[in-house]
Amino acid sequence: MVQSKKQKYMFLAFCLIPTFIMFAIFTLYPLFSGLYYSFFDWSGSSQNKEFVGLSNYIKLISDEIIPRTIIHDYFLVVTKVIGIMILAMFFAVALTQLRIKEAPFYRIVFFFPNIMSVVVIGILWTFIYNPSLGLINSGLEFLGLESWTRPWLGDENWALPSLVLPSIWAGIGLFMLMLMGGIANVSKSYYEAAEIDGANEWQQFWKVTLPLVWPQIKISVLYIVITTLNGSFIIVQVMTGGGPNNSTHVMGSYLYQQAFVQYNFGYGATIGVMILIISLITVLVLQFFMRRDKVEY
Amino acid sequence: MKNLFKSRLLFLTVAMLMLALVVACSSDDDNSDDKASNDSGSSDGEISGDLEIQYFVGGYGDSWWKEVIADFQEEYPDVNIIEHAGPNINEEMRSRWVSNDPPDVVYIDGAGSSETQMVEDGQLMNLTEWVEGIELDNGDKLVDSFIVEPGKFDGEIFSLPLVFDTWGTWYNKNLVGDGGYEVPTDFESFMSSMEAIKDGEGIDPFVTTGQHPYYFLRGMLYPAFGAAGGNELLADLITGQEGAWTSDTVLDIMKRVERMQKEGMIDSGVGALNHTQSQMNFLLGDNAFIPVGFWLPNEMANDIPEDFEFGFIPSPMQAEGEPYAIVPDLRPLAIAEEAENPEAAKAFVEFAFTREYAMSFSEHTGAIMNITGVDLTENDNVPGYLTEANAMINDPEQVQIYEKPHPMSADLETPISDALISLMLGNMTAEEFVEEAEKAAAQYRGE
Repeated sequence: MVQSKKQKYMFLAFCLIPTFIMFAIFTLYPLFSGLYYSFFDWSGSSQNKEFVGLSNYIKLISDEIIPRTIIHDYFLVVTKVIGIMILAMFFAVALTQLRIKEAPFYRIVFFFPNIMSVVVIGILWTFIYNPSLGLINSGLEFLGLESWTRPWLGDENWALPSLVLPSIWAGIGLFMLMLMGGIANVSKSYYEAAEIDGANEWQQFWKVTLPLVWPQIKISVLYIVITTLNGSFIIVQVMTGGGPNNSTHVMGSYLYQQAFVQYNFGYGATIGVMILIISLITVLVLQFFMRRDKVEY
Repeated sequence: MKNLFKSRLLFLTVAMLMLALVVACSSDDDNSDDKASNDSGSSDGEISGDLEIQYFVGGYGDSWWKEVIADFQEEYPDVNIIEHAGPNINEEMRSRWVSNDPPDVVYIDGAGSSETQMVEDGQLMNLTEWVEGIELDNGDKLVDSFIVEPGKFDGEIFSLPLVFDTWGTWYNKNLVGDGGYEVPTDFESFMSSMEAIKDGEGIDPFVTTGQHPYYFLRGMLYPAFGAAGGNELLADLITGQEGAWTSDTVLDIMKRVERMQKEGMIDSGVGALNHTQSQMNFLLGDNAFIPVGFWLPNEMANDIPEDFEFGFIPSPMQAEGEPYAIVPDLRPLAIAEEAENPEAAKAFVEFAFTREYAMSFSEHTGAIMNITGVDLTENDNVPGYLTEANAMINDPEQVQIYEKPHPMSADLETPISDALISLMLGNMTAEEFVEEAEKAAAQYRGE
């Protein structure tokens, strides 16, 4: 039966309109109301709000904590991208190429953190880092490295680097699976051909595997960057609350503090706008640098 | 024609979807209509209609509230009481406050609540005149019977202090008192006692939460400021007056904190600890002193080791020879400016402030209600530390009470807390701290 034009449009409308309405309510409306509130001095807990024009943005520029939060965010982005991609790639290659008998078991073990809530991961690692009872300090003491022990999350210099480890640990599994999917799609004949040509395994990785899974790598990196910029605040909030002395505040946690602890909702919205702009710029820049023609052999 | 039909159909689909959403979201509105019709009873002088009460349930539990509300219900059977209670109630009720549909009575306590903010936002009813007329059972005027008077904003009263909370220093009685170490009486004896404990027990004697440095600010520094400069200094610091934080008196006190840090009295892990962890360390005997409010034993009730005994003193930060100082933290009861049933709300507030309920409050919570003339000594249901503390607080030779005008705004407390933790970690000197605090005060004034 041939569909009439009317039926076709009806079907399209049926599919698109509910989605669009949901999108408008849950994405567009918050986006624009965030932008709207950023022009107000509003505590977020009453109806009194005063239009203040751009003064929240002026405050944003002169706020000494903001540049620190941006640096902290990018520190997490860079360390997470490097850490997760290297380890995920390593495990993916190991589990697909090295013919390990226990591969399915490891796959489950590495993926396990991904099914845990970030809040649980944060609390778990807070215990691991606990200055007196924690696994890390006890481990170091056991190894005779007392001088290395420190209150990891309570040290202004070490708190931020300490957040990297749980973030990487929590992220590996998903990207490992994505890369494994990519590697599994590479035809075995390429490796056979490379081997006949005398390429060793290292060369095979660089010349065959890496170019062919580039689309997966690109998506993984973008995904890590976006989720870090938008979501790193959860782990910060749970593990350090931004402290000590703002040494771990990321943009998101600082937004939360301003909007919900210090009752500067308008200023919080301004920080939100900044996060949106910075994330957009970052993604565009990344897209530009990671463009690479799709490789096919 | 076809196009017209198409667009109509499109419109119909959109309209139906919108309708579905509106219906889904509108259940609250239905309630408020009912409320309006029910509330009409209050206008003829009778107390009736719905009465909504919002109260935070924290370390003190809710058993006292249940008792008072049940008694009130019995006294005023025509009132339909709706309770909004729980540990997250401040967050849960926020949308009601934002949409100008607040509950009638609110007990302001716990995370996510700020009396200062509520007053600044005009959400609380001005009670200045009304409170003058309230009398207790024996004819005493309520305003003359508060242990600490209500906080005032530009001379006006917007809330009545219900719970007399006070910060102080808890010590491990088995370790300090029975272990042969001196219970501190002033800062010098505090230091010498901590030194002896550090040498004798091999522990860092003092702990607090570094994730919430305001525990130290309110628990240790406010009393120190009060003792050194009285209510005036306290008010100047809390309102961020120019030059208050950089004054010699404050610098002198901050040098004491620096000394505690330099001599290794503060737990080296302090920066990492949240309040529960710090309290747990204290209970496990890893530390001997911790600044927390009266609620500590109640809050940690499930984790207290069997032989553990609490000792409580006002924080010993004052100079030699001076009495201890305490700065109470009051948890007030208030009526919403937009209360839909203000008559019932007033009746409830008046009902709760009695000496009888003050006594039962101490029994239920192990803390003190903000009413004078309540004799706890004869009551076996009141914990021992409370009777001792209560006796101490009521003896002006031993303890001086200082009052802050109102809680410090989060906009000032947050940056000061940030600098404070740096000082306690040894990353900042006392001089740098007061400069940072003065800068924060300048920014706060500028807002």
